[in-house]
Amino acid sequence: MNARAQRESLWLLVFGCTAALCLALCGQSPLARAQTAASASASAGAVPVPSASAEPGIVRLTHGLSPTADGAPIPERDRPPGTLPNDNGPSPAIFPPQELTIRFNHRRHVQDLKLTCTSCHEKAKTSRNSADSLLPEATRCDACHGSDHRNPMQVRAGTQAIGQCAYCHLGYSRSAGNRVAPLSLPKPNLRFDHALHVTRNIGCAQCHGAVENLELATRDQLPRMRACLNCHQAPDPAAGRARSECRTCHLTDPSGMIKVSFASGPLEPPSWFHDAGHGPDWIERHKAVAGNDSRFCANCHTEKSCTDCHDGRVRPRRIHPNDWLSMHPVAAQQNQQKCASCHRDQSFCLTCHQRLGVTMSGPFANLAERGRFHPPKSEWTDGPRTPRHHAWEAERNISACVSCHVERDCAICHATAAMGGRGPGFPAGPGQGTDPHPIGFRSRCASALRQNARPCLVCHTPDDPNLLDCR
Amino acid sequence: MVAKLTRTLLIGSALGAGLGSTHEARAFKTEIDATFDAQFYSLQSPYGSPLVQRRRYTQTLSLNLYDLQADRQPLGPALSFKSRLRLDSDFGQRPEERNPDSASYVPGLVEAPLDVMYAYLEGQRYLGGALGFRLGRQYVVDSLGFWSFDGAEALLTTSAYLAFEAYAGFEQRGGLPMMSTSRFEAGGVSRGDRASLSFGQAPSFLQESKLAPAYGFAIESSGVHFLHSRFTYRKVINRDAVLVSPFLDNGGGLTYALGDRTSSERLGYSLRLDKSDLGAVLGSIVYDLYNRRVSQYNAGLDWFLSDRAVVGASLDYFLPTFDGDSIFNWFAHRGTTSGTLRADLAFSRAFELAASGGVRMFTTEGDPRSYAASPDLNQSSHTFDYLGTFGGRYRFWDGSLALNTMAEAGQAGHRYGGDISGRKLFDGGYYDSLAVLSLYDWEDALRPDRSATSFSYVLGGGINPNFLSFSKGRLGVEWEHTMNHLVGQRFRMLATLNFTVLR
Repeated sequence: MNARAQRESLWLLVFGCTAALCLALCGQSPLARAQTAASASASAGAVPVPSASAEPGIVRLTHGLSPTADGAPIPERDRPPGTLPNDNGPSPAIFPPQELTIRFNHRRHVQDLKLTCTSCHEKAKTSRNSADSLLPEATRCDACHGSDHRNPMQVRAGTQAIGQCAYCHLGYSRSAGNRVAPLSLPKPNLRFDHALHVTRNIGCAQCHGAVENLELATRDQLPRMRACLNCHQAPDPAAGRARSECRTCHLTDPSGMIKVSFASGPLEPPSWFHDAGHGPDWIERHKAVAGNDSRFCANCHTEKSCTDCHDGRVRPRRIHPNDWLSMHPVAAQQNQQKCASCHRDQSFCLTCHQRLGVTMSGPFANLAERGRFHPPKSEWTDGPRTPRHHAWEAERNISACVSCHVERDCAICHATAAMGGRGPGFPAGPGQGTDPHPIGFRSRCASALRQNARPCLVCHTPDDPNLLDCR
Repeated sequence: MVAKLTRTLLIGSALGAGLGSTHEARAFKTEIDATFDAQFYSLQSPYGSPLVQRRRYTQTLSLNLYDLQADRQPLGPALSFKSRLRLDSDFGQRPEERNPDSASYVPGLVEAPLDVMYAYLEGQRYLGGALGFRLGRQYVVDSLGFWSFDGAEALLTTSAYLAFEAYAGFEQRGGLPMMSTSRFEAGGVSRGDRASLSFGQAPSFLQESKLAPAYGFAIESSGVHFLHSRFTYRKVINRDAVLVSPFLDNGGGLTYALGDRTSSERLGYSLRLDKSDLGAVLGSIVYDLYNRRVSQYNAGLDWFLSDRAVVGASLDYFLPTFDGDSIFNWFAHRGTTSGTLRADLAFSRAFELAASGGVRMFTTEGDPRSYAASPDLNQSSHTFDYLGTFGGRYRFWDGSLALNTMAEAGQAGHRYGGDISGRKLFDGGYYDSLAVLSLYDWEDALRPDRSATSFSYVLGGGINPNFLSFSKGRLGVEWEHTMNHLVGQRFRMLATLNFTVLR
């Protein structure tokens, strides 16, 4: 088989495997599909809509089944402060999906019947814990609806239509043992003290939006973090004020770190928060955010999150993909600077390169096998400086040079003759007397010489006129 | 090596026994986290020989104590102790590679280094939230990089939205008898333990390591979410005796530099300013006081189109700098400047895409195309690399599917390729699985014979049992198979065992 045929076969193999992998991973089990669908429905704040009246003789009820009578999107002005358009509701990690099996029309109760929020949710005024249920007891409804919920095991319906069980309880069927569908309102995964906020004169609408304009209140009326941050902007020592620390509201694990893993999903920062959206490109972007404010990262991440890559011993595949060992020389030539964020050139890189015999220095035993790593000497080292001369590569990417070469390799040619090198004064061909310093170096050299003269003395004798100019 | 391994296991056992015996009496919480990673693969020299076998075994053991402060409240003072110990061994090393008298001797090579990654006592929110401190080996992460030192740090937070930080100690350096690594030293210099070396052995690229005093401070904003700004300064001092020249002097001897010398001295400033319904500005700059040059800067502008879409632009500049003892500082002429545009789209909480494209620019003093005929260093020349990435992620309730692709092309050659990876959990997360397919093509412009197309796949899996009252535990294996014409077939095997106990 020739090389071309081999390559075509390789491509065919690649595409075949890719397709097989996609099929294997995308083909979820029926159970998974059902759970995914349920989760998606719940997270969108959807409620079950009865397909027809449950009992003969009861009229079809159309109000209180969704936030708006016609199922239209909630007007932006009625959504909680801090809501962004199309934000898909609050985070399911904080407010897990709910199962609302009650038909309830807030607008009717507030605007028409002149009830207030605390007429029903009076416990909100005294609640100190986010796990508290702030829903009214069912007996609260009895006075107007004519029902009797005093004994949950023997609830009695009222005599009028509004007192019938199916009037409020979705999916109710008398023939099913007088049972109602369970309501699921999981407790939120955060710390919250309603009473404290009430004492600060923070009204319900400041967090929940204009519920009085809506029929059914869904997850979408739960608070958004953007609104919390309107007040929570105080540093730690500002006692008594709304602190900005994450743990003020977010749950912590025993180590004091923010809990980020919940049954309803992972907790990740939204893109607008500290510009720290953990999207697919986060690994490339995180430097700017972490370098600016690493204490922000430390709310959720331990040192291990950093050291696994920045001082790691197992290749992180997201950064170094498969076959990185074969590919890394080209990557280093292209941009070796990136390597330095995790690897130290003269220990991590150099040691391995010396073991493999690709360096000038290092084990003598490897010299016999060593070929020429760089282009031919006539292009790479000798003058004149053609485009393939090493000087350009050194200027462009000195870090790549340092991953193989020790300073002796450079000083052999660039050190002055008085120091034993082949620099100025050595009767050699062009190129070896080249000054390796960058333009403008002379204006900076005095400071460097004063702070650390050692590198200067590698190539220059103490009485070198060039060195004296820098003193 | 065996002694070190035994020592590590003994320490772990002692910690475990101690925890068990104090379970009823203590008020604080204890966390032990251990990882065991075994990697097996081979490296072949481009010349065919030598073949380096990597038989790596890495073990970390972490002991964390929380709530050492009695009656801790969520926003009250907190005292904790955190530590992590690491043994990083490579049983694939040949003994002669570590024998200074052998022709195969590799300076600095150690078979099983043991290092304390970090170990510090931390106090937070003392004096009404104003005072924090750390004592011990710790990290500092800011615009000056990811750095570690042994010493003390104090943080004073004021109610005036400003915090002041100061620290002093010794830089973590390799070769010291303090269970340390060389990861955090500035580059360009090889230091290590020369205890087993005679005076003249490998003198030019292995310096004796000594304690390096370091200190720094920072002033940063505190408390507000829409703004974070940090100004920072750090200096590290070399005190080791270092050989001045690799060549014998006129008297036939070697000259050493002694005394305090600057290893690095840098200033950094970073800023983030965001408006949640509009966008964000991020930037940082680092000035190297030893080199008297700006060594890094980056600036980014992101526009939040909506809760689900962000577009942005960034500019990044990097000039390599090295330890003050290194001559390589004076070979770095111009930095590398990269400009990129990016877009990040979240179609739902499950499905996200990200793409970026940009240019990386190199500048040389003199034009390589005409320099041979008319040498003129003042005539700058630019070369460009073109960059692009595209990635996507779909997360379903028991797994994820991800695509990552990249392209870089320019003077040094090109790299094109990507990975498709999938993870899936089974039995409620008791079992997990991993599959990765990779295809990459690269061209090495300087050595065309090292260009290749590579296809790899990885298959892996693990179990996540909750046994022996572990809070978390995972045992996993991965098998990697690579094919390209440079190495033929290459295999890598990774076995991991992690567990955490929190009581």
